[in-house]
Amino acid sequence: MLLTFIVFFPALAGVIIALFPARLTKWIAAGASLVVFLASLWLYFGLLVKGSPNFGTVIDPQWYISAPWIDTTAGAFHFHVNYALGTDGLSMPMIILNGLLTFLAVISSWHIDKRIKLYMALLLILETGVMGVFATFDLFLFFFFWEIELIPMFLLIAIWGGARREYAAWKFLLYTLIGSAFTLAGIFLIYFETGGQEASFQHFAQTGINLVGSLPFFGTTVSLSLVIFLLLFAGFAVKIPMWPLHTWLPDAHTEAPTAVSVLLAGVLLKMGAYGLIRICLGFAPGGATQFAPWLGILAAINVLWGAMASMAQRDMKKMIAYSSVSHMGYVLLGVAAASAAGSVSMSFRQAALTGATLQMFTHGTITGMLFFSVGVLYEKAHTRDIDVFGGIGKRMPTLLLLFSVACFASLGLPGMSGFVAEYLVFTGSFATLPVVTILSAFGVVLTAGYFLWMIRRAFHGPLNMKWSWLTDATALEAFPLVALALVILFVGIYPAPIVDVLSPTVNQMLQHMSGVVH
Amino acid sequence: MLSPELSVVLLSFVVLGLDLVTRRKTAVWLTALIGLIIPTLLTFSLIYNTFGSHPRTAFYGMLVVDNYAIFFKLLFMAIGFGVILVSYQYVEKYLRATPGEYYSIILMSLAGMMLMGSTGELISVYISLELTSIPLYILAGLSRRDSRSAEAAVKYVLLGAMSSAILLYGMALLYGATGTTDLLEIAAATKNVLHTGNLLLLVAEVFIFAGFGFKISAVPFHMWAPDIYEGAPTPSTLFFSVGSKAAGFAALLRVFVFGGLTGANGTYLWVMVAIVAALTMTLGNVVAILQTNIKRMMAYSSIGQAGYLLVGFATLIIHNTVVGDEAMLAFLFVFVVTNIGAFTGVIALADATGKESIRDFDGFGRGSPLIAGGMALCLLALAGIPPMAGFLSKLFIFYAAWGQGSGMTLLVILGLVNSVISIVYYANIVYRMFVVEPAKREFFRIPGAVTATMAVSVVAILAITVVFGPLLTQAGIAAASLFGR
Repeated sequence: MLLTFIVFFPALAGVIIALFPARLTKWIAAGASLVVFLASLWLYFGLLVKGSPNFGTVIDPQWYISAPWIDTTAGAFHFHVNYALGTDGLSMPMIILNGLLTFLAVISSWHIDKRIKLYMALLLILETGVMGVFATFDLFLFFFFWEIELIPMFLLIAIWGGARREYAAWKFLLYTLIGSAFTLAGIFLIYFETGGQEASFQHFAQTGINLVGSLPFFGTTVSLSLVIFLLLFAGFAVKIPMWPLHTWLPDAHTEAPTAVSVLLAGVLLKMGAYGLIRICLGFAPGGATQFAPWLGILAAINVLWGAMASMAQRDMKKMIAYSSVSHMGYVLLGVAAASAAGSVSMSFRQAALTGATLQMFTHGTITGMLFFSVGVLYEKAHTRDIDVFGGIGKRMPTLLLLFSVACFASLGLPGMSGFVAEYLVFTGSFATLPVVTILSAFGVVLTAGYFLWMIRRAFHGPLNMKWSWLTDATALEAFPLVALALVILFVGIYPAPIVDVLSPTVNQMLQHMSGVVH
Repeated sequence: MLSPELSVVLLSFVVLGLDLVTRRKTAVWLTALIGLIIPTLLTFSLIYNTFGSHPRTAFYGMLVVDNYAIFFKLLFMAIGFGVILVSYQYVEKYLRATPGEYYSIILMSLAGMMLMGSTGELISVYISLELTSIPLYILAGLSRRDSRSAEAAVKYVLLGAMSSAILLYGMALLYGATGTTDLLEIAAATKNVLHTGNLLLLVAEVFIFAGFGFKISAVPFHMWAPDIYEGAPTPSTLFFSVGSKAAGFAALLRVFVFGGLTGANGTYLWVMVAIVAALTMTLGNVVAILQTNIKRMMAYSSIGQAGYLLVGFATLIIHNTVVGDEAMLAFLFVFVVTNIGAFTGVIALADATGKESIRDFDGFGRGSPLIAGGMALCLLALAGIPPMAGFLSKLFIFYAAWGQGSGMTLLVILGLVNSVISIVYYANIVYRMFVVEPAKREFFRIPGAVTATMAVSVVAILAITVVFGPLLTQAGIAAASLFGR
């Protein structure tokens, strides 16, 4: 019941917005997103009050609700789609992250006046789609929610975006749609190869493991599990984004309005990573193991390519977009290392995968904070070009402080959540994939390079008198930044709560995998 | 047993006569609209009569009333209701035809369509086909001042006559091969007497498929669709696109499945249908991108949708499975609802501005947000975007096809590629409506009937998503009755 509320209430609020006058829109949206965020927090605390909390696993999710939705049998042919929602350790942090970032996105959109009703309605429908992806426990329902977020995001970028918004919006739409066509083919394949009886995650987690076998493919045989993994992965790889399918991201992130960029980077990218871990790793582990070395190499390319492209940028938002690509590489690295073959202690794999999943959460908060900061600056200065600024920290000390916090968190300063996640990933990955781990660790240095250099060029040094009229961030503008900073610091100093949520699920997943991997 | 069709014909005469008597257009329209309730109730009473028993036949098996026939009768009632509802103001403003003529012609055609699903014998297939088509020819040309409308009507007559001729020739060959025109006896003959590879039977099947292929606008029989959709008055176009297509599929399935033509020559038929399906999907979707007139674009989009339906038909043929039929019926149902909604948006635009090109949709989202929003939902449903029902119906058709075998997998992959291609032109309309700023800001007054139709369509599309399970079950019952004889 709680999950149904969390998933559908935003869309309901979006419809309600259409009925009320425009001056109430922002309040309705803010209220609705706050309610959803608090409800998502209750997912965690509601389990905590029960004593020794069991946050659920894929076989046995918490807050579970399953009702038959489509149930048809024609001869030997079955089609069962259940309305199945639940949470486990992997999806709960994601749901909370989505609730938090959407609420902050609504707050940071307070200054928007152009067609505000449509804007807020689309934002809330987007939240429903993403919540559904994280909360669902049925494979077809997963794909159903996966496609919902396409059109709201397309319209959000195309209407309220920057100069090249139409190009960016169409590129996003077509790229993502082509990827998800591959994912659908993978879903069909995995469904029919596991008997075609039902599509619930529990079913696949238990039978999907046995997906060995080969497909005849133009004369050679290919492992069935690998084919399924690659088909499913294609759609997720576009979203994560993985090099070389990342080219939609710089355009989309740069041209989108601030709040939309935050949601794009903070939440939509995590949808891809979540799909990778839950579906690819969970249901086609043999294929994951076979692909793991390549995935490791691609992860290192993500990190280094993204970092170096980021260093070359003059536009702040594009720099942060490429840094997003770079930091998602750590998630890929952790996943690759956890599934790679090799006889290492299970604890290393657990560390790698826990780090990857933690990086999903922290990257959402950190990148969200970065985009919010740039948004505040752009709102005042109407430019994002680093080189025209100089010493504006003298006029905007609060923004300088918060922006710096975000940058330091991004490069993995101890005491902030980025460090915890990256440390876990590197330590765990070194055991199975040492070379790519060393290469990826270099990304930390590069991140320091481009971000600190950007801060120095734009904020420090003598004040460029052209900008002497700039005012500091107001309380409303600083609110999302402060909120995210607190989360980052809390997780950085005391990561135990969130790691305790993630670990059991991750461990259970790895134990299941080990039946096939070893 | 003929009562629904008879009551529709009677209603058509009543409406025609009423138009002579009264000058009040509303009375005529309301009579047509509310009068449709009577055939609907009679159809429901037929359900009551066929429950638990084998299908009822009449006229020595020329007429069959089974669950399949009832499914289509109800579908056509819904189509008739939708078309009559939406065309209220358009008829007055643009057609300069007396409304009584217009509604009575629609009802006549509707009666023919209802018969198409109920036929049990080749000649009655042809009779109902003609009863459906000839009023459609008139409907295409009803916009008397418009030369394009007259051109559309003439093209339709010529091409329709030619396709009927091909169909009749195929039927004649079938009669020659089997010695009977009764579909059940043809089925028995193909199962017992005729063997796979019988050339006469194969040629007959190809000709019959070609004849029906025209009605469902399959490639390469699709050439009429863009010109005629563009030239005809928009409510007529709506009626062609949903009614003619549904009727064509109703008869196609009836002849091929009920008449057992898939029993012999199964592999050849499957290859032919698969190739036609692939061509239809691809041509429809790719050419639609290039269009500048909304009605032409909708014509090509309908061709693409027919391609997906033919994928379902191929699924049906390859292993003679019920699920392909079920998928097609569910898809048809959703397609009807969605297309009615989409064309309502086109009619709304025509009502407001009198124009028909895609550019005229610029900024429509500002001018009338509800209609534009509804149309966006319908177009995205056609593209297969959730949460509209179009996503589920497309998913199910591809899913049923994938489960059949290696050749079908390639067809599904092509279908998925086409779905991605189709988003380009569907999303383009949404983009024009909501993103592009119009040349001048104006608020459109949309007639009440149009808004009502749009509201019904949108609610239906979203509601069907929730009750898709029951819809599939009903479609399955209808499909099974076609098989179990």
